[in-house]
Amino acid sequence: MMQVSRIEVTPRLMEGMKDVRGDVIRRQMAQDLSIEVTDVRSIVGYLVNSDVNQDDIYARVDDIFCDPIIEKGYGGNLALNDEQLFNESPDLTISIAFKAGVTDNPGSAALDGFFTIFPQASKESKVATYITYAFYGIPETCDTNNLAKSLHNSLIQRAIIGTKEQCLAKEYPEIEFIQKPPTEYKSPARVDLEISDEELIKLSEEGLLALNLEEMQTIQAHYRNPEVRSAREALGLPPDAPTDVELECLAQTWSEHCKHKIFAAKISHKDLETGEESVIDSLFKTHIMKPTLDMQKEVDWLLSVFHDNSGVIAWDDEHSICMKAETHNSPSALDPYGGAMTGIVGVNRDILGTGLGARPIANTDVFCFGPPDYQGDLPENLFHPSRVLRGVHAGVRTGGNESGIPTVNGAIVFDDRFIGKPLVYCGTVGLMPQNLPDGRPSHVKTPKAGDIVFMVGGRVGADGIHGATFSSLELTEESPSSAVQIGDPITQKKLLDMTLEARDMGLISCITDNGAGGLSSSIGEMAEYTNGCEIDLAKVPLKQEGLSSWEILVSESQERMTLATTPEDAEAFEALAALHEVEVSRVAIFTDDGRFHVKYGEESVAMLPIEFLHDGVPQLQLSSVWAKPTPVAFNPPNKADHNQILLDLLARPNIASKESWVRQYDHEVIAQTAVKPFVGPERDGPADAALIAPIHGSTRGVVISNGIVPRYSDIDAGAMVEASVDEAVRNAVCVGIDVDKMAGLDNFCWPDPIQSEKTPDGEFKLAQLVRANRQLEEVCRAYRLPCVSGKDSMKNDYGKGADKISIPPTMLFSLFGDHPDVRFTATSDLKREGERLYLFGLSEQELGASEVAYLLTEQGSANGIGGNVPRLTNPEYRLEGYRALSKSIQDGLIRTAHDLSEGGLGVAMAEMCIGGKRGARIDLDGTGIEGTDLWGQLWGESLGRILIGVEAQHEAEVVDRLEDYGLTLMGLVTSNSQLVIEDGFDEIVNIDITDLEKAWKGTLNLDGGEI
Amino acid sequence: MQPKVAVLYGFGINCDHETKAVFDLVGAEAERVHVNHLVNGTRDLSEFHIMAVPGGFSFGDHLGSGRLLGNRMRFALRDMLSAFVKAGKPIIGICNGFQVLVKTGLLPGPEAADPDFIQRASLTLNNSGKYEDRWVTLDFNPNSNCIWTKGLERIDCPVRHGEGKFVMPNSTDLDRLAANGQIVTKYVDPETEEGEGFQDELLPFPISPNGSARNIAGICDSTGLVFGLMPHPEAIYAKWLHPDHTRFTAPDAPDCAPDPEERLLGDWEGEGLQIFRNAVEYVKSNL
Repeated sequence: MMQVSRIEVTPRLMEGMKDVRGDVIRRQMAQDLSIEVTDVRSIVGYLVNSDVNQDDIYARVDDIFCDPIIEKGYGGNLALNDEQLFNESPDLTISIAFKAGVTDNPGSAALDGFFTIFPQASKESKVATYITYAFYGIPETCDTNNLAKSLHNSLIQRAIIGTKEQCLAKEYPEIEFIQKPPTEYKSPARVDLEISDEELIKLSEEGLLALNLEEMQTIQAHYRNPEVRSAREALGLPPDAPTDVELECLAQTWSEHCKHKIFAAKISHKDLETGEESVIDSLFKTHIMKPTLDMQKEVDWLLSVFHDNSGVIAWDDEHSICMKAETHNSPSALDPYGGAMTGIVGVNRDILGTGLGARPIANTDVFCFGPPDYQGDLPENLFHPSRVLRGVHAGVRTGGNESGIPTVNGAIVFDDRFIGKPLVYCGTVGLMPQNLPDGRPSHVKTPKAGDIVFMVGGRVGADGIHGATFSSLELTEESPSSAVQIGDPITQKKLLDMTLEARDMGLISCITDNGAGGLSSSIGEMAEYTNGCEIDLAKVPLKQEGLSSWEILVSESQERMTLATTPEDAEAFEALAALHEVEVSRVAIFTDDGRFHVKYGEESVAMLPIEFLHDGVPQLQLSSVWAKPTPVAFNPPNKADHNQILLDLLARPNIASKESWVRQYDHEVIAQTAVKPFVGPERDGPADAALIAPIHGSTRGVVISNGIVPRYSDIDAGAMVEASVDEAVRNAVCVGIDVDKMAGLDNFCWPDPIQSEKTPDGEFKLAQLVRANRQLEEVCRAYRLPCVSGKDSMKNDYGKGADKISIPPTMLFSLFGDHPDVRFTATSDLKREGERLYLFGLSEQELGASEVAYLLTEQGSANGIGGNVPRLTNPEYRLEGYRALSKSIQDGLIRTAHDLSEGGLGVAMAEMCIGGKRGARIDLDGTGIEGTDLWGQLWGESLGRILIGVEAQHEAEVVDRLEDYGLTLMGLVTSNSQLVIEDGFDEIVNIDITDLEKAWKGTLNLDGGEI
Repeated sequence: MQPKVAVLYGFGINCDHETKAVFDLVGAEAERVHVNHLVNGTRDLSEFHIMAVPGGFSFGDHLGSGRLLGNRMRFALRDMLSAFVKAGKPIIGICNGFQVLVKTGLLPGPEAADPDFIQRASLTLNNSGKYEDRWVTLDFNPNSNCIWTKGLERIDCPVRHGEGKFVMPNSTDLDRLAANGQIVTKYVDPETEEGEGFQDELLPFPISPNGSARNIAGICDSTGLVFGLMPHPEAIYAKWLHPDHTRFTAPDAPDCAPDPEERLLGDWEGEGLQIFRNAVEYVKSNL
């Protein structure tokens, strides 16, 4: 008989020990809620539902649940009743557990440990976990409900509070074990589409299908086709109407998320500035795909672009590298921790699903949030930015660290508008042998009809239903909790180890990730290769019984790959999976009859022609109108204290040190990271790009960098894209990338750009997208930088009507490329007294949308941020300059280089001093083109500029190589600790490094006190 | 003779590739061996001369780092491990591997040589409450009989953990470890003279990244053959992995490249590699 046993564990408080979990909560309360308490204690609880006798379980508490050296365990009792460890009653207790059906990773791990001790226990046994915090010294004024709210997310967790009275009476409320009530399997329903247009729209909206009228009508028309009807009749399907399985499958496959309908749309574009009127037949094909395919004809290293889960380039003689970046914005808004974690582990699977499987070797994380110190009102249902930051960071940290993939590069950008929708970009670089031991090139999938399709990894549950369609809608108060789930990195790690071994054994003929759209997308996409598949949903293992066919087909439950083997290899594959304790199930076979055929046991539940499924979606017809935004111009004040401006800029969240967050990522597992996120003798200077040497014993390198500047969209989204690409390239040049072998990824995050009642400015937002794409093409062609993969997320808005918040149009440009030898690279920290400091590139009078413009406007000493936004002039010439600079780094002539971006030269120079713990004296004279004043030179963000430090013995050689590209000697590294910036005879800035450091490091350290 | 090394993997171990690589670089023949291959009997530890339990997040560190894998080993591999130790073969546990060895009871182990699989110490949450990746400086105890660290004085290498604070129930337990020379390595202030950084008084964060008792970073068993440490010496197998490598007076001529055939690192060998070479040399001379 199944019964629930309760185990609690709490830290012993012996000498030198403290309750660290509790202490973290105490500091967090002080930091985020301004509630000071004297002590917080923590108790971890386990509820074991099993057929093992309670007394037997309680006798083994120290063998499973509790570390007897440092913890005390209790079987059947509450820890709080232990008067030795809790000799005073707390003022308040809060216990938090997951809701039924939510992934409980510690619970699954505990269950594994439970089976180690009780192998005979029923396989139906379950362990649920909870945590109880006991608070001491709670101020009278504390709103305990609010406190509880801040400690859990009611979408996925439940909390109970023990009041002061209950604590005094020692009647602590106990959190109980709950299970999701079993649902009943429902046979597929016939969905009548012979209804009015209004009803079609209603059906789409209420069913969260996210299909527009024309798409619904296209589906309606499909079921009127007599040929379709007779084929359906033969299979026993309703001939004249879709089943719910089919409609859901079409909704997922045709979602904006999966089909990128806006990038594929036909756009009538009007430019009110120039009078241009034109028609663009797919932004993607015109401005992204075409340039890359053109470049592919000229180089031999672009192996696989656009069609696979990530873009693949040849790297050294034996290996290829690939990269993919994704966003996970909507889930991260609802549950920052779970949403972000599924983001990172999801993009890892994209790499694993590239070609015949690649090994993820590096992650990048770029986040956009509201300001962490935001004081204003928050719309319903949205979390405070500091909580989003903590949650997203924790999710990505857990996902990356536990998967053994180093997080090597990233950024955090802040803007009020990201309160409406945080952007969570996760990228992963993969490594694969160019050829497998059996001789097949690893970047080419080789499926055949008759191959067996396995679902591999986690089971399917009700979690994650409608992720793809949900992310194609704006966030509202009613957004569903089923769209949220929590990743399980350890299950995925096992899956990853096993899959890569299967690859090397030659067992895989085809593989892809189970992400958005679940099996319907993964098998559906792979079935395109052979032109057909037959799926049996009854073979799909479930987390809980009773899921209906459509739910099984579209659920996005995590940690799953879809993988095919030949029939001959299937058994060897199953044996390998068993060794790794990874669940695999034969769920489908590939066919070549042109059908996406789904059965549940013997019953057909869906049949869609492959062609209709993939190519049936009608092209959107959209219009865009560009009218140049005219924000009030930024006019710097006549008199200014530039020392103070530098300190204020360093403290701005966009510029401030992210070290306290980034240091919590493992950035050097795999023993390959040659340039880490923080550099210098105290490892606190910012790195520009990551440099890794992934083959042990070899010095061949891979460079990874990012560029992102949403601010510039306030003036021109085209300029925003130019600046993002140039920033990524500049960063990569700073470590010495081979500029002739680099590739990029464009990840667009836009507010809804479709004109409608809820988006009255859709035509303008679409025009911003047009300009962004045009500039992307122009820069990438000039830099000979192919985009090999990308993604777009097009509904980054919150709410409707007056309180609608739209994000600034944003494109992240991720870059990866080759480096000949990681020993010869540069970092931003100043190295030695006497090092010569040069500015590479010239400053222009470009202060529009600069950090200093926002700073002074917010402070009231300027009226606006408008003006000239940085533009990229003559990019071909800049590329030549970058090549010369990169080569000088590769040749060991330059070991100090830092890119100029937010806050311009002043901030870059300060960061170099902080990193190197050395002062410098520089003169701005001659660093700008004619007409550039002090503001433009010191704080402007003109593109193409890099600060370099050169040792005296290499100076002549470096000058000779770079002088044609705008090279100005600015000054020297000094022996003292002052940063001195002069403009001719005037001293503009003179600050001690310790003051710079204090300003730069204070803002984003949210530890809440000494640790 | 080329010593054979079993590098365990599976269940969330994730430093297996580089741990295999460093043994290969010093002349061993290392193989990644799935824990379940040992559990189900297809492989036996007796085939190997050295066992390494690499870093990672076995079972997600749930229920305490290293506990669940430690339990599997304690219950399923007890005889095999016991025989391995009794045969005088070296074992190393790094980071999560150290946590595993502590929780199986192999470290610090009993005073008598034969393992009894009783847990005597633990590694718990860092005082900061945070997982961190940061570089630390380690000094090595010249009076320790640990075979892995012979001749080492000081190295820099990263810690990457959230639960690295070494604790024992009583200070007399720590006294005994110290008296036996089982305290192999400690976090030290890099400003001190090499070899003089060892101290019992707690060093401030971040010199000691976790608040470990007596600044302990690694310990060995009474035989000196079983060694565990929280920091990652394999992460500094080459100098280009040191965060300061652009600051060194690096050889400027590109002809000092590691020989791709021999995979020797030459001048660019990192200071962590000697630990692995020591064990391989030990096996060559003693087994």
